[in-house]
Amino acid sequence: MLYRTAGQFKTSYIADQALFPVKQDAFLLGIILALAWIVFPLTASEFTFQTLLIPILIYALAAMGLNILTGFAGQLSLGTGAFMGVGAYACYKMVTLFPWMNPIVAILLSGVFSAGIGVAFGIPSLRIKGFYLAIATLAAQFFLVWLFEKWSWLYNYNASGAIQVPNLEMFGVFVSGPQAASVTEYYIVLFVVTLLTLLCINLTRGNLGRTWKATRDMDIAAELIGINLMKSKLTAFAVSSYVVGVAGALYVFMWKGAAEPNVFDIPLSFQVLFIAIIGGLGSIMGNYLGAILIVGLPVVLNVIAGTQVFQMSALGAAVLVALAAAVAFLGWVARSGWTVGAVAGFVVLTLIYGYAQTQGFRIDSALIEHINVMIIGGLIIFFLIIEPHGLNQLWRLIREKLIIWPFPH
Amino acid sequence: MKHFTKLAIAAALGTVLGTAAVAQELYTPNLAYRTGPFAATGIPLMNGQADYMTLLNERDGGVGGVRINAEECETGYSTEKGVECYEKTKGTAIVTQPWSTGITLQVLPKTNVDEIPILAPGYGFSPMADGKVFQWAFNMPAGYWDAADMIIQYLEGEGGSLSGKKIAFLHLDHPFGKEPLPVLEMHAAGKGFELLPIPVGLKEMQNQSAQWLQIRRERPDYVVMWGWGAMNAGAITEAVKTKFPMENFIGVWWAGHDADLKLVGDDGKGYKSISWSFPNPDAPVMKQVKEMVFDKGLSQSNEEEMQGVFYGRGLVMSAILAEGIKNAQENFGTGQIDATQLRWGLENINLTEERIVELGLEGMVPPFSTSCGNHTGHSGGWMLEWDGAKFVKASDLLKPNVDAYADLIATSAAEYATSNAPWAMNEECSATN
Repeated sequence: MLYRTAGQFKTSYIADQALFPVKQDAFLLGIILALAWIVFPLTASEFTFQTLLIPILIYALAAMGLNILTGFAGQLSLGTGAFMGVGAYACYKMVTLFPWMNPIVAILLSGVFSAGIGVAFGIPSLRIKGFYLAIATLAAQFFLVWLFEKWSWLYNYNASGAIQVPNLEMFGVFVSGPQAASVTEYYIVLFVVTLLTLLCINLTRGNLGRTWKATRDMDIAAELIGINLMKSKLTAFAVSSYVVGVAGALYVFMWKGAAEPNVFDIPLSFQVLFIAIIGGLGSIMGNYLGAILIVGLPVVLNVIAGTQVFQMSALGAAVLVALAAAVAFLGWVARSGWTVGAVAGFVVLTLIYGYAQTQGFRIDSALIEHINVMIIGGLIIFFLIIEPHGLNQLWRLIREKLIIWPFPH
Repeated sequence: MKHFTKLAIAAALGTVLGTAAVAQELYTPNLAYRTGPFAATGIPLMNGQADYMTLLNERDGGVGGVRINAEECETGYSTEKGVECYEKTKGTAIVTQPWSTGITLQVLPKTNVDEIPILAPGYGFSPMADGKVFQWAFNMPAGYWDAADMIIQYLEGEGGSLSGKKIAFLHLDHPFGKEPLPVLEMHAAGKGFELLPIPVGLKEMQNQSAQWLQIRRERPDYVVMWGWGAMNAGAITEAVKTKFPMENFIGVWWAGHDADLKLVGDDGKGYKSISWSFPNPDAPVMKQVKEMVFDKGLSQSNEEEMQGVFYGRGLVMSAILAEGIKNAQENFGTGQIDATQLRWGLENINLTEERIVELGLEGMVPPFSTSCGNHTGHSGGWMLEWDGAKFVKASDLLKPNVDAYADLIATSAAEYATSNAPWAMNEECSATN
């Protein structure tokens, strides 16, 4: 129907191996880009920029960096948070030491430092694999956060031990710091994220990406067919840490505005890892879907729960119906008894929640928070049960089904 | 037709009443943390704050006839959630109460652009005292540097000269814990005692055996603690275990939580905590809260919690905010004040002894006053001592010697302004205030 591929003939190998062999994919991407570049900036409020758009993009970028290492090259890492910290501190030192430096250049350069540190901590991967490597990267996590605390030169000997983003100008416009407008920050984040996504897509489709995948799938076989494992693993660490470092610089400079060392502690690493896993390891788009689920959804739920009762009845009902429909649709895609049960449970829960809201049942802020945590947790379990390979795989299945629709096979 | 007219009138009336009802309230959101790792200490504070505002709404119909909407936005002490809450509430809020040091750090520069007063009673950045630079930030009645100064004064008053003595400074390795270091270092140099900073990492809060081993080895005369959350209970139980003399162990006001000391009971006897608030059970406000809020089921608190230091402190915090609102309303002649007007109100708080009695807060907060140049008030505080079952006052009112570190406040504030240039300052405020 929407995805009918009839009539799209490939007459050359180049056309067959293009980024979007199906025309509708390119079309869909065009819509998404138009939304991101034109519609959102024109319509979004300050709140939407600061709590949804900017953080989702930054987390998606960080997850993409991790996905290159873990999803494409198969090297498990628990040090993402610390590598983000390296990027952030490098950027901070650069803009304070060289105030004339262009902020975007500083952000893009800060990744170079984290790439260097990433390669250094990636060296153990030449000898050890799997969980053992995860422990080695955990060492990076602890060591780097300790370093951020103890090495006062990194935070310019501030009494508080935290880094504070100064107001940075570019062509007479404030791009970072408290004076910067959210829309400016958003465009910079969007520009950097678009640029790096393009880079990652092409890297993973190219020669280097195939080397990584071979290393991931079976390193001995890869070595036998002539792949230099050292080069493959270390380039994966370098590229991954570069992207993660840039994400870290954006995280502090374009979003948070200030950061103390423990911001980059292990919970951040886990959050990014969860985004990558739920989005789908070994995919680019999954990172965005994962970030929307893990970063965006709690904010949306909070807003819905916080609206007044009378607004709730209209808006809330619409959202609940939409959620239930989406879940039912996913259930149709996955088709199993399990799913039907999960869908039923989810629908019942949301209805109870919605009913309590419309009845003006007094929900205080802490209870909302607890319910949100439960809903998010439930959704994560739900998505992982219906599709263990993540949201990206789910989308791929939906797309396949739509292409051959109305035939089942 | 008649029917239709009636309906239209009803609708119009409803709209008018509706808008009037919406307009007649002052929105003072609180970025609360009733969940997360620090919830145990947060809940009594939040309950105290909320209950005082409920009392005002119940007893007086708000402040100046306008009801207070002190809605909470849950942060779980997480910086990200805190910023989310700030963005969500700043549209209609006349004040923001950020709570965690991490959230304060991020919100502080934003409030200067958004022009919303930030009220951080007894926490935040000590140089916020300089109201000329931090024109939107308030941390009355006392800052961390005041606390450090008062503790040193108290130690001198008790044990004589500090020269040649050794003071261990056990602190959370976090911006909050490092905050008093400049003043302590200054005193160490001036009074000739040895200062031994012992940091406790966020991950080691509950297990401080390494730190207390160091304390046992170094044998300091006193231990001064800047702790929060689980760190306090950890330190106090560890001190009991290592048999450190409790009377030589002094904490900041956030390290004086009743529940932490109930864990050790009589063994904690003698432990002290400097505080700018005291839960005086005989104060009229306490009785009124009990009658008009608690007994009506409008409170989330319980009897035991309401006796505690932190609950009483929550009441005082809201009382300070309400006083600022009242000042602004009287000065500008309007009930519905905005953020800028509230800033004026908070800059002109004059809590005299008489005013404190009038508010029914006898003995719960020391008198203090603020001005455009002094956003802290430097009220001073009492040394509270754990008697095995509750905290009691162990000293008269201690006043910090602010002159000793006035220069430090000015230079730190100026440094902050330079590194955040362009930073809007209050140029009208004369330097003499």
